[in-house]
Amino acid sequence: MNLEHFLKSGAPGWMGDKGLDADIVLSTRIRLARNLDGYRFPLSFTDHEAIQVDEIVTDAMHQISNKEHNFSHFTIKDMPLLQRQVLVEKHLISPLLSKKEKSASVLISNDETISVMINEEDHLRIQCLAPGLQLIETYALANKLDSQLEKHLPYAYNEAFGYLTSCPTNVGTGLRASVMMHLPALTMSKQIKVVTQMLARLGMVVRGIYGEGSENLGNIYQISNQVTLGKSEEEIIDDLQSVVVQIIQNERGAREALLKNSRIALEDRFNRSLGTLKYARIMTSEEAAACLSNVRLGVDLNIIKEVPLNVLNECMILIQPGFVQQYAGTTLQASERDVFRAKLLREKLNAKTQKLMEEGEERYDV
Amino acid sequence: MICEHCKERQATITVTQVINGQKSERHYCEVCASQFHPFNLDFHKEDQIPIHQLVSNLFGLPVWKSETQEKQQTVTQKAAQCPKCGFTFRHFLNEGKLGCPQCYETFSKQLPQVLTKIQAGTKHSGKAPGKMNNNKEWMKKQIESVREQLQVAIVEERFEDAAKLRDEIREIERKLEHGGVDTP
Repeated sequence: MNLEHFLKSGAPGWMGDKGLDADIVLSTRIRLARNLDGYRFPLSFTDHEAIQVDEIVTDAMHQISNKEHNFSHFTIKDMPLLQRQVLVEKHLISPLLSKKEKSASVLISNDETISVMINEEDHLRIQCLAPGLQLIETYALANKLDSQLEKHLPYAYNEAFGYLTSCPTNVGTGLRASVMMHLPALTMSKQIKVVTQMLARLGMVVRGIYGEGSENLGNIYQISNQVTLGKSEEEIIDDLQSVVVQIIQNERGAREALLKNSRIALEDRFNRSLGTLKYARIMTSEEAAACLSNVRLGVDLNIIKEVPLNVLNECMILIQPGFVQQYAGTTLQASERDVFRAKLLREKLNAKTQKLMEEGEERYDV
Repeated sequence: MICEHCKERQATITVTQVINGQKSERHYCEVCASQFHPFNLDFHKEDQIPIHQLVSNLFGLPVWKSETQEKQQTVTQKAAQCPKCGFTFRHFLNEGKLGCPQCYETFSKQLPQVLTKIQAGTKHSGKAPGKMNNNKEWMKKQIESVREQLQVAIVEERFEDAAKLRDEIREIERKLEHGGVDTP
């Protein structure tokens, strides 16, 4: 499969509208960090080691490829910067990997649900993505792939410390499970701070989706486990699952309360945002994210009926700078991006209402 | 008092920070304090903390030592240099990362004191390569927890969710019957 397949605009495979609790939980991600025994970590290895690791892992991946999961291999330094950025925005590679020049590469499954990054911070980063809340299923998928790989790869493992990783924050299970949640009602009612503090005490972290520092842009939060050592994989997943279920209940409660107390104000806000998205000529990513969040909540609360969730999912991905530039077909200044972003959103949101039937088929293969 | 950061609003929050035993108090307004984050280095524009010192603070090990401590440190440093990648423990503290898998054995005595601060324990209790992952017990537990969610969904009359949960239970039960192996 060539790179174009993965650069295609549109929501990636892991961002369907299926999944459980898909109105609040956008996606689930599982990441396993693994290293090969006898090779230094990417922080200190030589070019020669880097090439060897890349070859060994790629070879192992090809051996376990089957009909179900077919992987394509891409070397980071062969890719233009804009293409790397698009893959980052699709969450198929990490920002760190996209900056690596030294034999860093990635293997992506054709359906975009699995990506294996080579020579990122660790030799291997196995990542599985799924729509909605599917921690157990997604971990099962990652675990299966990991168990197949361990037959071909000499994993660095130690009885006491478990899977050895470059950073001690990943050692042990090497597992980072994260769930991306849309929490507008908790944010509006300022309860999110309490949730964040509570999570920190439980050994979990909250971050924004559009990378670090972009806290609560579009009211989207990524919640993940911090602890990787001293707990088994099952315990980590169970703990995160119960926290997420709790947050979902709180969010639903907050939504009901908002709707009860200020229905007309909410209706006004949702429809204004939809109007802005449909007709604005200049859109910063902040404004676009805020409007999309409002429209999404409007759809969830059954106030806005003409916009399907999958179009909103797609837009959330498309408003990022890399995608906007790919859509324009060239690199752009920030101010030019805002113009193209507005154009892109107008096309998506105005076209969808009439052309939904014709485009049904295209939706199918994203 | 006026907020030290924006120098506009009234300061209502006092932040007390202890760095290397040095206590300092700062006064901020609510708006600035809400942006405050211990790792947000840009916040204190005048006195930026170097990253290695931050890591040391995190791990509770002073970077600037008195001379006697310095000598002790150099002795242990010589004893503990990783034969594979040449990393010393000090190097690790500065970098926040280890150089190679061998480092974990080289620093096996010092690492637990760092790990207790950032992890739930110092002993791995999860998956190991080569061992069959016996997750039957877990699957059973999982079915129970999904059943509970199902009950809640039925009580709250979320029947679409209930149907999904019912399918999920069937799916896990099917896997369980196949001996924990995921075969369709």
